[in-house]
Amino acid sequence: MTAADGLGSDPRLGAAGKLAAAERPILQPASPAARRRRVLSVVLRDFYVLRRSVPRMLEIVYWPTVELLIWGYLSVFLQARRVPAVVAVLLGGVLLWQVLFRSQSEVSMAFLEDIWSRNLLNVFVAPLTSAEYLTGVVAFGALKLVVNVALMAAVALVLYGFGLFSLGPALVPFMALLLLMGWALAIVTIGVILRFGQSAEVIAWAMAFAFQPFAAVFYPVSVLPVAMQWVARLVPASYVFEGMRSVLADRGLPWGTLGMAALLDVAYVVGALAFFRRMLVKVRANGGLSRFGE
Amino acid sequence: MAILEARGLVKRFGPVTAVDQVSFEVGEGQVIGLLGPNGAGKTTTLHMLLGLVTPDGGSVHLFGRDLRHSRLQALSRLNFAAGYVHLPGALTVEENLIVFANMYAIPRPRRRVDQLIELLDLGELRRRRLRHLSSGQQTRVQIAKALINDPELLVLDEPTVSLDPDAGDRVRQLLLRFARESGRAMLITSHNMREVERMCDLIHFMAGGRIVATGSAAELASTYGVDDLEAVFLRVARG
Repeated sequence: MTAADGLGSDPRLGAAGKLAAAERPILQPASPAARRRRVLSVVLRDFYVLRRSVPRMLEIVYWPTVELLIWGYLSVFLQARRVPAVVAVLLGGVLLWQVLFRSQSEVSMAFLEDIWSRNLLNVFVAPLTSAEYLTGVVAFGALKLVVNVALMAAVALVLYGFGLFSLGPALVPFMALLLLMGWALAIVTIGVILRFGQSAEVIAWAMAFAFQPFAAVFYPVSVLPVAMQWVARLVPASYVFEGMRSVLADRGLPWGTLGMAALLDVAYVVGALAFFRRMLVKVRANGGLSRFGE
Repeated sequence: MAILEARGLVKRFGPVTAVDQVSFEVGEGQVIGLLGPNGAGKTTTLHMLLGLVTPDGGSVHLFGRDLRHSRLQALSRLNFAAGYVHLPGALTVEENLIVFANMYAIPRPRRRVDQLIELLDLGELRRRRLRHLSSGQQTRVQIAKALINDPELLVLDEPTVSLDPDAGDRVRQLLLRFARESGRAMLITSHNMREVERMCDLIHFMAGGRIVATGSAAELASTYGVDDLEAVFLRVARG
């Protein structure tokens, strides 16, 4: 104990009654203003954590840059062996894969922060709905992703002369479709961690990679065995990466396949939300939520 | 008027009945204690009242409305602190309070945070990260967070559990004065008999998931024919 611990007989404590009686200082809980403020609280919390964490800051730059260097120089090497369009295909794959991976991992990590800091019960007893919480973590994850992709795009341009914007307007649907899939996987990740506890946290890093072979990031779906091709057809990202290769080969944007990806994304998001809700009901029933306080 | 009504609460975890037909009320301005040995069902009961655990039977009414149908409204009018729940250690005192002021939809969060920082004498600590504070200081920040929305019901689960006697006593004084001067209700669990004796108007003794005795500290001691609450506790805990 230090002197600063002390409350003792501080006369200011007499203000407690006045403070309480003066006003009930909250917005109507169901009002849009209150909802916005609660979403903002989650964004603020994540921003403060990021601002005060050097490892978190480095994560935005470190792994993506390492990946970009490896794949970038591999593609430069292959190009020297006259493999056509390899730089654009591999670097486009790396950059767009980061959109999917980071959108999933950032949201999952934001939830894990609450577990690691043993703050989760404070969040669950606050008047914060699951939708508001998820909106907050997704919004902040999206902001981090913008910084992340901008940095990587700059590195790719400087080192390899590959401009991400060479994908043209197709970049917008590509990124949107990958973001949706990443967020759906993140919501499933959170549901799994809720259900099985902190021991399942490895899934926060592994989930997206389980889909990578089927997403056909660096190769066309057609090279996969037939059974894997069937699985790939159920992965929205596979249509995006096929679309990317189509655009880079000047074959235009395959809107039909992107429509399929959009439909699958909607199914993923709806399924993820249903799964999350089910897990929440389950952990409230079996006492699993309480155990996050132990 | 009761601001909290628990009626016939039941919770089973597999073959174990953790809470068995627990009923009680908390009225405006009342300070109610839940006492009992480890495994008595106190925390499970509190967590059912807070919506963290779904009861298998019974109901919880907060501020006259069923918690199942008015979670958002109910949770905005109460708050919670526990010895086993922390605030993010990477954030400063001020940042933590601003986050929770927004989470409870306080219209002018910075003003409210300033009020609480002054009230709880946290001025010198406001820009320090929580992880660098002592347990006593962290508990005061937790209590500041628990008062952020001026709760009509403050739920405290072993609030002084990790504190040394001096820090624990200071926190108790603070809570007691808050309850007396604000007229707000509190529901407290604790293993500290003196804490409960000093703070609570009414005590529910739990054992084996049930409320086995109810009364003021003096009434309970009289009922069990012992001198103080600690002796009552030992009597109940040892069957």
